[in-house]
Amino acid sequence: MSDVATPHSTAGMGQKFLSNRNMVLTAATLAVLVLMCGVFATLTDRFLTVSNFQNVMRNAAPVIIASCGMTTVMIARGLDLSVGSVLAASSVIAGSLAVAGVPLYLAFLLAVLFGAAVGAVNGVIIAGLAVSPIIVTLGMLNIARGAAYLISPSAILVGLPSGWSFLGTAKVLGLPMPIVIAGIVVAVFYVMTSYTTFGKRIYAIGGNEEAARLSGINIKRTLLWLYVMCGMTAALAGVVLSSRVGSGDPNIGVGFELQVIAAIIIGGTSLSGGEGRILGTVIGALIIGVLANGLNLAGVEPFWQFVAQGLVLIVAIIVDRLVQDGVLKMRKGA
Amino acid sequence: MQHSEPVDPGLSPLLRATGLGKSFPGVQALSGVNFDLFAGEVHCLIGENGAGKSTLVKILAGVQEADAGTFEVNGKAMSFANPQDSQAAGVACIFQELAVVDGLSVSENILLGDEPGRFGFFDSKAADVLAQDLLDSIGFSELRADQPARDLSAAQRQAVMIAKALRQNARVIIMDEPTSPLEEAEVRKLFKVIDRLRAAGKGIIYVSHKMREIDELGDRITVFKDGHRVGTVTRGAATPEDLVRMMVGRKLDTLFPARDSQPGAPTLEVRGLSNPHIRNIDLTVRRNEILGIAGLVGSGRTEMLRAIFGADRVSSGTVTVENAPVPLNSIPAAIEAGIAMVPEERRSAGIVPVLSVADNTAIIWDQYVNRRAHDGPRSDAIQKIIEMLGVRTASVTQSISALSGGNQQKVVVGKWLLSQTRVLLLDEPTRGVDVGAKKEIYQIIHDLAEQGLAVVFVSSELPELLGLADRIVVMNGGEIVGGLSGDATEEQVIELSMLHAATPILTGEHP
Repeated sequence: MSDVATPHSTAGMGQKFLSNRNMVLTAATLAVLVLMCGVFATLTDRFLTVSNFQNVMRNAAPVIIASCGMTTVMIARGLDLSVGSVLAASSVIAGSLAVAGVPLYLAFLLAVLFGAAVGAVNGVIIAGLAVSPIIVTLGMLNIARGAAYLISPSAILVGLPSGWSFLGTAKVLGLPMPIVIAGIVVAVFYVMTSYTTFGKRIYAIGGNEEAARLSGINIKRTLLWLYVMCGMTAALAGVVLSSRVGSGDPNIGVGFELQVIAAIIIGGTSLSGGEGRILGTVIGALIIGVLANGLNLAGVEPFWQFVAQGLVLIVAIIVDRLVQDGVLKMRKGA
Repeated sequence: MQHSEPVDPGLSPLLRATGLGKSFPGVQALSGVNFDLFAGEVHCLIGENGAGKSTLVKILAGVQEADAGTFEVNGKAMSFANPQDSQAAGVACIFQELAVVDGLSVSENILLGDEPGRFGFFDSKAADVLAQDLLDSIGFSELRADQPARDLSAAQRQAVMIAKALRQNARVIIMDEPTSPLEEAEVRKLFKVIDRLRAAGKGIIYVSHKMREIDELGDRITVFKDGHRVGTVTRGAATPEDLVRMMVGRKLDTLFPARDSQPGAPTLEVRGLSNPHIRNIDLTVRRNEILGIAGLVGSGRTEMLRAIFGADRVSSGTVTVENAPVPLNSIPAAIEAGIAMVPEERRSAGIVPVLSVADNTAIIWDQYVNRRAHDGPRSDAIQKIIEMLGVRTASVTQSISALSGGNQQKVVVGKWLLSQTRVLLLDEPTRGVDVGAKKEIYQIIHDLAEQGLAVVFVSSELPELLGLADRIVVMNGGEIVGGLSGDATEEQVIELSMLHAATPILTGEHP
């Protein structure tokens, strides 16, 4: 209660404190990223090149895109495990439609709308029936994966039109298309979470659902929208990824949801909701991307990458726990 | 003084509730209650735990729906079916658990749900100006609108909630025990805020257990007992002693068996037990003795039992059972020493719902008496307990969830009788059980004390406490504030637990 006696002394500091706290946390994650880059740069001289950075970013783009939707879900204290399967289903839906002669832009659009529909189903069940999001989206993980195989049993689709790879390989102003798309998605979600009324309400729902309810916020509708957006970003990630690999493939994205969740947790979004930053998530996705790329270039066996990724995730969760418990005080003077 | 109506009858009340009723399974929480509130008054509600004041508050807040009764706001009939209705009627609640979102700023909290801005964008400049005006108007200028809510004290959080109520154009502001997390200086400040609100023509419903506050603030005071309104008095028309007399006076039921034996040698001795919730607890409970613990909800009764049982960490103090020191902060050590606890939350902490009646009964036996379960002795032991306590169950293999609350509670007590229990800690053991089962549980507690156990019995129901206990200790603000003999009156207990205002202990950053 010592706060009471000190409001004057802290007022000046408290003024910009919200952004301060976020800036400190973001800077800390960024420092980890820079440190990792430093380590890999000393390990291999192939790491620190412009083309390799573009490579890392291009590979990270699907994770970044899907993480944006998922970050908002997790800020609202939800979870969506189905993103990897939605990504695969979206990939084969776009591919099958393209093979069947549907114009490409329409095929991509329908795939994204499919993602929205899956998200809507998730959202209706989770928000409407107050069911655990883990179980609902775990079920959806299986359903969407099954749907992907049903649509395209022969694994990889052939006979795709020539423009298929545009989203994955074209360049805009010298930047690879996946990076441009990820940038746009990040910008949209950043503005939404930081500057809109809807964004404030996401934090309120995750931080104190009862307070949000008593403030007259329609929690169910908000959650529904978040899951719809999460499904859409997962499907968009699927379109971008399959465009880059040049095919529709029901096998892609196995374990993708774990990469997404890892990126978000590493980026500082709290598992207990109410806290999280899109920019942190982007850094988290890049940390995972750099880790995979660097270990690869350093000649480490691919299986070790799983171990490394898992370790990073666990460390990030422990740090989250410590921050929540106030062990790592991000308080006055931070 | 039964029904004084002090305010000019020509003036129509801000809020009028007529014939309110609300029942829960087995309990009539509110019955035929009339209540009104005028602009510019502080109307205090008092009564014992469970007297009905919290139910009234929850109904007015739209958190619970009344079974019977009508509401008028400014002379117009209104519904109070949910929090939105109640908000639309101009009622705002400053609850004990404050609804502040840590991740948002002060202004974002105040304006949540009604944010300024266009096209969905949050106008943080406008929000800060609006919020700062509201904070200034209640005298909390030192709170800055763009400050994060995370670091606010309890008093500052209350200020945020009051500002939010004003933002919602609330005309009725309900405060439920608002001073319990506050320090003295903060209480003074809150009272100043209340004076401002009163002067601004708001109607304030103020629920408190603290007579001193009621005396100071209340323009009118309504006393509740057993779900009924006993009466409403104006400021100065009744002394605190008068009010206490209005709150008590229930008939003692003949549910309590007479005691034969005299307390023997000390079994449980607690000295200087302290942690963030309790302060310097000294307690001696003898063989054959039932010690009743009285006190309001939040007075530290449950926390004291949990500390003795090793469930909550203690910072200092000693516990001995029959002169042998008990290692602190360890439930297994407490159990080995013969301490048993029946927790307040039966469903979540007393029983294991998925297990059978037999497995629940033997849960202590299995771990502390005979780890290699021999079917013969084990089922004999279970059977003995079931019969001894009169647990009514179709079979011991049936799930315990199928049993009534009273029979579940018998199992929760009975599981301790299969180990070397010498001290039995009971936390509200009759909560949520029907009258018949209550009587049986009283008999069981009585019998166990007769057989030599030392029993510590926490209850919010004074009649059962006075009927059962040999001696009563009263807690307030985490401390023991007095002791009474078993033939004390309800007035004496209430006076100790309410009039004797100890400073509350504050814990953590967000009480």
